[in-house]
Amino acid sequence: MFSALCWIVISCAVKPEPLLYGRDACHTCKMTLVDRKFGAELVTEKGKVYKFDDLNCMLTFYHSGYEEASAFKFIQVVDFTNPEKLIDAQNAWYLKSEDLRTPMASEVAAFESEESTQVFKKEWKAVLLSWGEIQTQFK
Amino acid sequence: MIRIALIIGMVASCTLGHATTIVIGAKESVTRIKDAIALAQPGDTLLIKPGIYREGNIILQKPLTIKGEGYPVLDGENQYEIFTIHTNHAVIQGLKFINTGISSINDLAAIKLLESQQIKILQNKFENTFFGIYLANSSHVWIEENELQAQAEFEHQIGNGIHLWKCNNITIDKNKVVGHRDGIYFEFVTNSLITNNHSEGNMRYGLHFMFSNNDEYRNNTFMNNGAGVAVMYTKEVTMVNNSFIHNWGSSAYGLLLKDIRDSKITGNSFLENSVGIFMEGSSRNHIQQNKFYQNGYALKLQASCDDNIISKNNFQQNTFDLVTNGSLVLNKIEANYWDRYEGYDLNKDKTGDIPYRPISMYGTIVERMPQAILLWRSFLVLLLDKAEKAMPILTPENLMDVSPAMLPYDFN
Repeated sequence: MFSALCWIVISCAVKPEPLLYGRDACHTCKMTLVDRKFGAELVTEKGKVYKFDDLNCMLTFYHSGYEEASAFKFIQVVDFTNPEKLIDAQNAWYLKSEDLRTPMASEVAAFESEESTQVFKKEWKAVLLSWGEIQTQFK
Repeated sequence: MIRIALIIGMVASCTLGHATTIVIGAKESVTRIKDAIALAQPGDTLLIKPGIYREGNIILQKPLTIKGEGYPVLDGENQYEIFTIHTNHAVIQGLKFINTGISSINDLAAIKLLESQQIKILQNKFENTFFGIYLANSSHVWIEENELQAQAEFEHQIGNGIHLWKCNNITIDKNKVVGHRDGIYFEFVTNSLITNNHSEGNMRYGLHFMFSNNDEYRNNTFMNNGAGVAVMYTKEVTMVNNSFIHNWGSSAYGLLLKDIRDSKITGNSFLENSVGIFMEGSSRNHIQQNKFYQNGYALKLQASCDDNIISKNNFQQNTFDLVTNGSLVLNKIEANYWDRYEGYDLNKDKTGDIPYRPISMYGTIVERMPQAILLWRSFLVLLLDKAEKAMPILTPENLMDVSPAMLPYDFN
C-alpha cells in the first residue's frame, strides 16, 4: 500500500520529459526537432513542459515574460557530446562559434563537462561561455 | 617575323587550348575517376562509362566537365562523402550516386560544394544518400533535373535533399526530392529561384526557408511531407503557383509562415492540409488569388500578425475557414469567395451586400479547447454558431470580409 502510494506520488512529481526528435515541435519557432545534438527544455513548478530546438529559442521564451523566470523548476539543454541527453543549463558549459550549424543559428553548443569542450574549442576556434554569459548574448 | 610568331601562337592555341576528353571505364586506359582528375587539364571533359565506381571521397579542385554515360554508379559504401568540390566552372552530369556515409557530426553528401562558383549539377540520380546536394558559401549554381530518393526510418538517419547554406544566385529547377529530412533547405540564401520541383514524402518539410531574403519559388509541388513547407525569419519572398497537397498531422501545415515580411503569396493551391497557412508574427504580406480547398483549417492567423492583405482567394469545403487567437484585428480581409457565405446580392454587382464573418464561434472554442472537436457537426454546435451570429460575444466583431464575392474566382 505504502509503495503504491509512493509510486503515485513519484509519478505525479514534476520532472523533465525526454525530447522526442522527429515528433516534438519547438515552442518558439514551431519547427519539428530533428538535430539530436541540440535542444532545450523548460519545466515549470506546476509541471508544464516547454520544448525547444535550439538554445536561442529557449532563451527567447525564457526572457519573454510569458512565465516568470522563477517559475521554472528545470532549465535544461542537450549535451552536444551525448545526443538527446538533457543536462542542467545553469551548470553547463557553452561554446559559441561561427563554424557551428545549429537548428536556429544560435551558433552555440552545450556541454556537461569542461573537459569535453576542449577539443571542439580548438577545432571551431570557439569562445567558452557560462550560463550567465550566454544569457547576455541573446538578450 | 611577327607573322611566324602569330602562326605559332595560333597553332599552339589550337592544340594546347583545345579541351580533351578522358574516357574512364573498366576497359579503358583510365579506370579510376581519381586518376582521371589528376591527369586532366582545366577545361577537360571526363566521360565515365557505365559501371560501379568505389573510390571513397573524390576531391575536385579543377574546372572540369564530368559526364556519365548510361548512369555510371558512384558508391559511397555507406562510409564516404562522394564528391567534394572546391572550384569554379565545373559540370557534373548524368551520374548515379548511392550509399553515402551517415554521420551525426559531419554533413556527408553525395555532392558537396564549398566556396564554389559557376557550377552545374544536371540530371543526376541519388539513392540513399545522407545529404544529396550540399552547397556552402557558393554562388551561381544550377541544380536541374536531378532525382533524389532516400528511404530512412528515423530523422537522424537522413539529411536534407538539396541543402544550401550561405549561398546566392542559385537556380533549382525540375528536381524531384523524395524521403529526405527536408526536401529543399535554405539558410542564409539570397536572390535564388526554385521552380518546377516536386518534393514528396520528406520527413520534416518539403521546403524549408530560414533567414533567406529576396528569393522566389514558383510552380513547385509539395506533397505528403511530415510538416509541409516552412518559411521563417525572412523578408521579400515570392511564392507563386505552388501546390501544397495533403500535409497532414498534428503539427503539420501546408505553409508555415513565421516572422515573414513584405512577401507575396499568389496563385497557390492548398488542398487537404491540416492547416492551409499558419501565420505568426508576420507583417505586410499579400495573400491573393489562392485556392483553399478541403483543409482542416484554411488559415490560422495568429494575433501577432499585422498589415497583411488577404484578398480574392477561394475558400471552399474547409472545416474552418479562419481562426485566430485574439480579438484585435490588424489585417485586411476583402473580396474573398467563401462557400459558407449566406448573404445576398440585391444590386447584382457580384459582391455580397452584407459582410461575411469567417470566424465561427465553434472554431474559436476549438482553438482554446482542442478537445471540443468531439462536438463537431452536432446540433449544439449549429445552435451556438447561429446564436453567435445574432449576438457576437466570443468572435472578434471587426474580423470580417465586407465585400465577399458571390461566385468563386476562376483561377484556371
